[in-house]
Amino acid sequence: MSGGPMAIVKPEMKSYIWLQTADGSIQQVEQEVAMYCPVICREVAQNSTGSSKNNAVVLPERVNAAVLGLILDFCRFHQVTGRSNKERKIFDEKYIRLDTQKLCELASAADSLQLKPVVDLTSRALARVIEGKTPEEIRETFHLPDDLTEEEKLEPLRNMTDDPRIRLLNRLYAKKRKELNERKKLKNVEVEEQQRVDERSVDDLLSFINGGDGDSKGVRETKNKKKTRGRKEQARNNSPNNEAGNCNKESSCLASGCLNGDISDVSSPSRNSKLQNSASATFPSKLDFDDFDMDDELDPVMQEKIDREVEDFARRLNCDWPEILSLAPERRLGPISMNGNGSLKRCTAGVDRG
Amino acid sequence: MSVVKQRILPHHPCNAELEVDKISNLPAQIIDKILSHLSLRDAVRTSVLSSKWRYKWVTLPNLVFDNQSLLISSQDQTFIKNKIVNIVDHVLLLHSGPIHKFKLSHRDLQGVCDIDRWILFLSRGSVKEFILEIWKGHRYKLHSSIYLCQKLIHLELFNCLLKPPLSFSGFRSLKSLDLQHITMEQDAFEHLVSSCYLLERLTLMNFEGFSDLKIHAPNLLFFDIGGVFEDINFMDTFNLAIVSIGLYVNPGFDRNLTLGSAGNLVKFFAHLPRIQRLEVQSFFLKYLADGKVPGRLSTPCNELSFLSIRINFNHFDECLAALCLLRSSPNLQELELLARTEDQFDLRTVANVMEENYQNCMFNQLRHVKIAGISGVKRELNFINFLLANSPILERMTVKPASVDGAWEMLKELLRFRRASVQAEIVYLDP
Repeated sequence: MSGGPMAIVKPEMKSYIWLQTADGSIQQVEQEVAMYCPVICREVAQNSTGSSKNNAVVLPERVNAAVLGLILDFCRFHQVTGRSNKERKIFDEKYIRLDTQKLCELASAADSLQLKPVVDLTSRALARVIEGKTPEEIRETFHLPDDLTEEEKLEPLRNMTDDPRIRLLNRLYAKKRKELNERKKLKNVEVEEQQRVDERSVDDLLSFINGGDGDSKGVRETKNKKKTRGRKEQARNNSPNNEAGNCNKESSCLASGCLNGDISDVSSPSRNSKLQNSASATFPSKLDFDDFDMDDELDPVMQEKIDREVEDFARRLNCDWPEILSLAPERRLGPISMNGNGSLKRCTAGVDRG
Repeated sequence: MSVVKQRILPHHPCNAELEVDKISNLPAQIIDKILSHLSLRDAVRTSVLSSKWRYKWVTLPNLVFDNQSLLISSQDQTFIKNKIVNIVDHVLLLHSGPIHKFKLSHRDLQGVCDIDRWILFLSRGSVKEFILEIWKGHRYKLHSSIYLCQKLIHLELFNCLLKPPLSFSGFRSLKSLDLQHITMEQDAFEHLVSSCYLLERLTLMNFEGFSDLKIHAPNLLFFDIGGVFEDINFMDTFNLAIVSIGLYVNPGFDRNLTLGSAGNLVKFFAHLPRIQRLEVQSFFLKYLADGKVPGRLSTPCNELSFLSIRINFNHFDECLAALCLLRSSPNLQELELLARTEDQFDLRTVANVMEENYQNCMFNQLRHVKIAGISGVKRELNFINFLLANSPILERMTVKPASVDGAWEMLKELLRFRRASVQAEIVYLDP
């Protein structure tokens, strides 16, 4: 055992900082660990707090005792200078394995303490949680209330919520949902499946990244892919616009990793690959992957009925889309014109936007 | 008609701790951070999650429109174009707040004039990074309003045509410029580079319209170029540390014409005192070999620690140039010699060159050497011998022949060479 008094660290020899969290608890922490936090560091330096129990550094509101523990774990590891980058990375990856609630709390606390590395880690982890999930799944994971009306869900598409077409859409949606829920009780089919069918009927109609082409399902399961096939076929027969909604039931699983636009990358000298890539045409085949799924697992009769209704509705909606969306020559039917009280009337003459 | 609104009231369970929504009330900058790690598509989709999330995505500072965020499963060009235009228009209109980064890089998008509209929109804001990659179709002529984006820090273009207006006086804040497969005029290019005073990184690949490169950029740190050009001149590039140059076409110089004038090699290094990493690719060594090549440069490249040369060992002048370079890099740590072979052979022997100018050339810092593509020609072996004998702290030399022919003979020769460094290991790789 190496001798000398310094080998045994007596508590009195280390200096401590006193911290008080929002919930009133006061604890003392080794100085070098606490000082790793910019906010604490500043408090101690400028206001000379933290030297005693009575004069503890008051931490921001969002930091409670439990989360403070996590923060300090991070600080304790990283403030040690000798560690290699690899070690730090490994620690970070393990550190971030928390449930989502904790991640949110940690992100919030780290932000109030201005501990940027932890903010970055938690943000990235939360993004990974969100990535590829359907809205339902995300809502469940984060306990979000599903408090948007159907109209509002479509809102990015149309800013007017009293548009008669939207109302019609809502009614159809509500009806469909009711129908399917009843079927579900009768047939005892998986809930998820039906909800997906449900949403898709709406999605099909909307050519938009939101509910629209983002088919809200992060289509991982083949089940999803298969379902869209039928509808796409139908919709396509009528107008290319309809299936705009279906564009991409696939992709999340196909598309690789992150879009990295980091300008500080030292790019490798030969970028000829860029041109080669454009010629290799692997992308189109990937995007079309989804189109070739076959088996529809829904009851074919139901499927057909839904398809017909969707078709019908789509046709009607499609006619009056603004120019940038529509492909004018594709119109099969006359447009719908609205009369005063908002009821729909189909007119056969001319191409009148009303 | 009454609207059937169905608001589903949030369900508050008794065990509040377990089911509380903790994410929606996070500060805006954290939400932005989280959303920025998602593809644009996923980020926008969060608007259907709940009423609080409806507009969280609209303040995203970075907008990336590429194949991952614009998922379109169709082959019809018109359809794709319409869809992309539609989406970008919608996003830009719904977006609120500053846009820092705009990237448009969809593999099926051609250079449509809608891009003009978007550039105009961005120019009214303070965009900092603009990346445009046109993967299909002809070169897209950049709309003139791009030249008004004075807050630009990074500009990256692929398959574009640049024609700045006469009144253009450079991007005042530009630090990084990446131009690949572009067309531009000679003066326009020179003016662009010299007027962007803060430029630190310049990448040029496959350019048309100019062949005389005058790089006047006092703050330049990184320079990477590959293409067809006739001449290259650096001016005042005293900070340039990393250079990679590839000349894709054989310059075919006639040595006699440039006797007497300072050779390209000397001219090239005159303005690169701080160079740290240099890659001489394709035929660039041939360009450097043109003109008078001294035994060594008057000012050695003291900071050069990494050197990679694509060399044709059969070409006498190139060997001279390479030797000059090697002799002028006393602090070299890593060296790569990649052989290339061409049809014409220079029959002058190398023996006198090597024996005369060997002395007083120690590579005291050289640790790693990589030699590839060689075929066992005398000259190549002389080079290797020379390196081994003069590198006292060499750790590893990797030799990879071009083919199995003569490989065995080469190996036998290699075995005989004396090594100045006891640590040196020679690793022989199969062709």
